[in-house]
Amino acid sequence: MPISRRWILVLLGPPLIFLIAFFVVPFFVVVISSLHNQQGDWTLANYAKAILDFYYWDTLILTFTLSLYVTVICLVIGYPLAYYMIYSLKSPLVRRFFYIVVVTPLFTSNIVRSFGWMVLLGRRGMVNDALVGIGIIERPIALMFNETSIIIGLSYIMTPFMVLTVSGVLQNIDRSLEEAAQDLGAGRFVTFLKVTLPLSMPGVVAGSLIVFTLSVSAYVTPSIMSGGKKIVMSMLIFQQYGSVFDFNFGATLAVALLVSTMLLVGVYLLLMERTPRTKVARA
Amino acid sequence: MIDRSSIGAGRFVLSAFSWLVLLYLLIPLAVIVGASFTPSPYLRFPPDGFTLHWYGQFLKDDSYLRAIWTSGLLAVSAAAIALLTGVPAALVLARAQFAGKQVLGALFFSPLILPAIVIGAAILQYASALGFARSFSAMLVGHAVIVIPYVVRTTLASLIGFDASLEEAARDLGDSAHGAFFRVTLPIIKPGVIAGTLFAVIISWINVELSMFNTTADLMTIPVKLFNYIQYSVDPMIAAVSAGTIYVAVLVVAILDLAVGIDRVVSMNRQRTGP
Repeated sequence: MPISRRWILVLLGPPLIFLIAFFVVPFFVVVISSLHNQQGDWTLANYAKAILDFYYWDTLILTFTLSLYVTVICLVIGYPLAYYMIYSLKSPLVRRFFYIVVVTPLFTSNIVRSFGWMVLLGRRGMVNDALVGIGIIERPIALMFNETSIIIGLSYIMTPFMVLTVSGVLQNIDRSLEEAAQDLGAGRFVTFLKVTLPLSMPGVVAGSLIVFTLSVSAYVTPSIMSGGKKIVMSMLIFQQYGSVFDFNFGATLAVALLVSTMLLVGVYLLLMERTPRTKVARA
Repeated sequence: MIDRSSIGAGRFVLSAFSWLVLLYLLIPLAVIVGASFTPSPYLRFPPDGFTLHWYGQFLKDDSYLRAIWTSGLLAVSAAAIALLTGVPAALVLARAQFAGKQVLGALFFSPLILPAIVIGAAILQYASALGFARSFSAMLVGHAVIVIPYVVRTTLASLIGFDASLEEAARDLGDSAHGAFFRVTLPIIKPGVIAGTLFAVIISWINVELSMFNTTADLMTIPVKLFNYIQYSVDPMIAAVSAGTIYVAVLVVAILDLAVGIDRVVSMNRQRTGP
């Protein structure tokens, strides 16, 4: 049933006005204020400050490096689980249980989840106890408040996104292609390498993008897991708004983070586009 | 041909690994719940006994109750706005053909892609300019903006497989346009609407990145309060508060599973995931 023009306006008007008023316009306020100094004059000084000071570059590079580690770890942990859920779990009840366990952490706040790792990684936490118990280390070591703890915390938080994205693509792969490969004499593993893996690449690409972009802008987990000892971009941005009260420079850092993330994502998509394997998968 | 034992071994490794990952997903939450019952005054897992003392302590603390009230009100109001704006938007996006529809669709999903911290900063700056910064309304509009996409997405997902000719049939049989909507369309989109609304509630309930820009000492949400506390000290009482939020998560997941079915919820949210 086609919707008449009048109804389109009635139905779409209010949501559109709401989003424009409280999302689009505020976003432009940020962009415009990044181009002003605190006296209200137009200037590029904020950007000059961000670009010329190596401190901001170091922070940006640390943010991206940590996010890259997190993305790779999530892929290594998440892909096999997604594969197992779709290909090996035959019982709908067990599969449902798996989905519930994957989704439940997503419904608890990042604070609570990071807090859990804080307890686990503490000097008297389970991880240290276990490592000492096995004999890998002699006495408890500092596992918290460094780059490793940020990576551990973020990887934990992002894993469900990877599992859900990859399993979604795996679910829609045409099973007859895999059967054909096996009829032609390919073993399970070869079938996986030559058929399933290439066909699942769109899921890998989408999952990595979600994990990477969310990690780059994560604030809570890096703050808790680093104890403020390592600074990532989102922490710098909040500092400007929350304690330095330089909204203009905060806006500049926010825009810089957004633009550089978009650039990296663009390069990544371009590279994936050129890889023959993904082309096969798209075909 | 590869010999059978190596296939068996491969399968075994995969299944052992997957169950371990499942355990890994559960442990940090289990640790918090466990530590909240410990009688000792510092965090301990496994707990060295059982007490509900810490739960009693936080329920006696007025500031926690107020923060929970603020968060709850915020979550329900934001979800209500998302419901009232998201469902009509999804109906139009699924059915109507008009110029610029692609762009509008992208606009409705863009709050998912833009970092929450940037949206939070934007709302604070905008609200400061208009004079309502650090208020409940400033938090509310921000929360509504980030939860609208969830309602649009799940409603759209339930509409996509739906044959519009069913509605036409209802109208041909003499039903009015409104009757057709309430008797045919609504029941079909119901699971999507329920799932989207519950998602909206929970996404708002656990949000820190948006709220923290606009909270004050008197206006606190429970995640921001937890966050401020955990950065300086941790004790079993804070574990009890955190465990409380885990129970809420488990409850919502259970409702979603019973009302809509968890795999359906998951697949509805896959529609148009990814930036």
